[in-house]
Amino acid sequence: MMKKFILLLAGMLSAYGVKASEPAMPDSIVRPVTSHFTYSIGSALIANTYLTPLKYHGWGMLLGYDRTQAMRLRPEKLVQRIAAGLDIDRTENPAGNASMWRLTGDFSYGVNYRWRLPYEITVAGGVSTGIDLGVVYNNRNGNNPVAVEAAWTVNVTGAVMWRHTLVGKKVLFTYRPTIPLTGVFFSPDYGELFYEISLGNHSGLAHCAWWGNYFRMENLLTADIALGGTQLRLGFRNSILSTRVNNITTRVVTCAAVIGVGGTWMSVNPYKGISPDARIISATY
Amino acid sequence: MKHLHIITRILSAIILLAAASATQGCHPIEEWDDNPRGNFEALWTILDEHYCFFAEKEVDWQAIHDEYARKVSNKMTSKELFYVCADMLNELRDGHTNLSASFNTSYYRKWWSDYPQNYSERLVEQYYLNFNFLSAAGFDYAVLPQNIGYVRYSSFSAGIGEGNLDEVLMYLNTCDGLIIDIRDNGGGSMSNVETLVRRFITSRTLAGYISHKTGPGHNDFSEPYPYYFDPAERGRVMWGKPVVVLTSRGTFSAANNFVSVMKYIPEVTIVGARTGGGSGMPFNSELPNGWGVRFSACSVLDCKGQTTEFGIDPTPGCAIDLDPQAALLGHDTILDFAIARLTSGI
Repeated sequence: MMKKFILLLAGMLSAYGVKASEPAMPDSIVRPVTSHFTYSIGSALIANTYLTPLKYHGWGMLLGYDRTQAMRLRPEKLVQRIAAGLDIDRTENPAGNASMWRLTGDFSYGVNYRWRLPYEITVAGGVSTGIDLGVVYNNRNGNNPVAVEAAWTVNVTGAVMWRHTLVGKKVLFTYRPTIPLTGVFFSPDYGELFYEISLGNHSGLAHCAWWGNYFRMENLLTADIALGGTQLRLGFRNSILSTRVNNITTRVVTCAAVIGVGGTWMSVNPYKGISPDARIISATY
Repeated sequence: MKHLHIITRILSAIILLAAASATQGCHPIEEWDDNPRGNFEALWTILDEHYCFFAEKEVDWQAIHDEYARKVSNKMTSKELFYVCADMLNELRDGHTNLSASFNTSYYRKWWSDYPQNYSERLVEQYYLNFNFLSAAGFDYAVLPQNIGYVRYSSFSAGIGEGNLDEVLMYLNTCDGLIIDIRDNGGGSMSNVETLVRRFITSRTLAGYISHKTGPGHNDFSEPYPYYFDPAERGRVMWGKPVVVLTSRGTFSAANNFVSVMKYIPEVTIVGARTGGGSGMPFNSELPNGWGVRFSACSVLDCKGQTTEFGIDPTPGCAIDLDPQAALLGHDTILDFAIARLTSGI
C-alpha cells in the first residue's frame, strides 16, 4: 500500500516537474482592466425611526472606485466587477435645529454574463455579493444617538452599454442597476438600547433580508468619454435603501452627480509576454 | 432576439421599480403636519408607541389624548401649545420625561418636590468635613472623626477612573466603615454605576434585568435580560468592610440603579429616604416643529426582577429624614444615623 502511495506521489511530482520545465506560453488572450475613481455629490434624504420619526434632508457625497475585467473563464461572456465606496451624508430635520450624519462604506464583487447586440450595444446580467457597513448619528439624542447599518447581501446586477461617437470622441454610455435579493442585515429591536447590546444581549440582531424587509436599489448612469489614454466619467447616481424590521423603518435616498477619471490598462506577465496574435477582450465592449 | 426581449422587460421592470421607490419608498413612514394639531398628535403617538410605564402607572393614554386634544387648535401660539403638551406629559409622573423647546424645557418636579429635602451640602461640608476634604473624579472624600470614610458623589455623570477609585479607597482603607452619600444624585451614566459597584463585590453578581419594547403596543416587551457585574480586576483596591449608602428622594435614575444593586450586596446598608426611581432608560425623539422629547423607553429591573421606577426603600429600620431643626444646629440626622450604625457595628 505504502509503495503504491509513494509511486503515485512520485508520478505526480514528475508530472509537475515536466509542466514546470516547459517554456511559458505567451498569453493569447489579454483581458484589460478598466477602472474608475469617482466623486459624487448631491442630495440625501435619511429617515430612521429608531432615531427620529422625521425625515431629514441634506447633502451627500461619495468617493467610489470600480474595476471591471473580462474573466479568465469564458472572457467573451463573463465580466467581473469590483466596486467600493465611501459615502458621507449630512442632513437636517425640517426645523433645521438638529442634524443627522451618515457614514457608510461598501464593497462588492460581481460577475455578469453579457450579450453583444447590434449597434454596439451590450447587455449584461448577473449576480454580485457585497457588504455595507456604516453608522447614522443624530446629534440631539442621548441614549439612542446612533443607528448601525450593516448588511451582507447577494444582489442581482445588470448593465446596458452603448458605444457611440460624439463630436469625434468615443463615448461609452452605461446604465448599471444593482438590487439585493437576499442577505443578512443588522437591526436592534424596536426599543433596544445599544447599552443592552453592549451588556451581551445579542439575540435577534441579524435578520434575513428579502424585499419585504430590505429593499435597496442603486442606479448608476455614466458616460465614459475617451480622452486619449484617459477616460472622463460623467454621470448620475441614485441609491435607495428602504428597510422595515422590528417596527423600525429606515430610508436613505441619495441622488448625485458623478464625475471621475479612469482608464484601461493591461496586466502582462513579464515572464510570458503577449502572443503577437493575442486577442484583447475588453470588459466594456 | 428572445434574450433581448427578456432583458428589455427585466430592465423596464427595474426602472419602474426604481421610479416608484424613489418617490414613495417601499416602507411607509408616518408623517404629521407642522401645525399645533400635527405636533400634538406626533407627541402623543411617539409616547404611545415607545413609553414603557403605562401599565405600572395605570395611565389611560387614550383618555389623556382625548382630554388634551380638545385643548389644541391650529390657532394657538407655540407657547400655548407647549404648555398643553407639557401638562399632558406630566400625567405620566415621570422625571425622565421632558419636552424641550427653544424657550423652555418641561419637567415633572413632583416626584421630588412633594418630599422632604434630605440633603444639605453646606451642612455636611461645614459641620462634618470642616471644609477640609479631597476631591477627585466627582468624589469629595474625607475621614470623619469616628474613623469612618465619607465619600460624596453628587452625579453619576462625573466620570470615574479606575485610578481615581484606587486613590480614594486607598486613602480610606484604614477606616472602619464607609459612607457613600448619593443623596440628591440625579443620575448620569450607567457605566459609572458598574465601575463603582465592582469595588464592593467579590464574585460575578446579578445586577438586574433590562426589558425593552419590542413593538408599539403598550404590552410589547422583551423577556427581561439579566446583566451581571464582575469584580474589579486583580490589583485594584477593593472594599470589603461595612458600607452605608445615603439616599434621598432626589436619588434618581442611575443613582437609583446604583442603590438597586448595592442593596443586595452583603455588608451594605441603605440609609435615608426612599429613592426617586427613574428606572426607565430614556430615549429621545422630536416633533415636526423641532421640539425635542425625552421619555422612559426601556425598563431596568432590580436583581429580583422588580421595577424600581417608584423608588427603593432603605434597609428595614434605616428610614430616616433630615430633621430641619437639628440641621439648624449643625446636625445631619441621616449622616448621624449612618455613623452610629457603622460605629456600633450593627
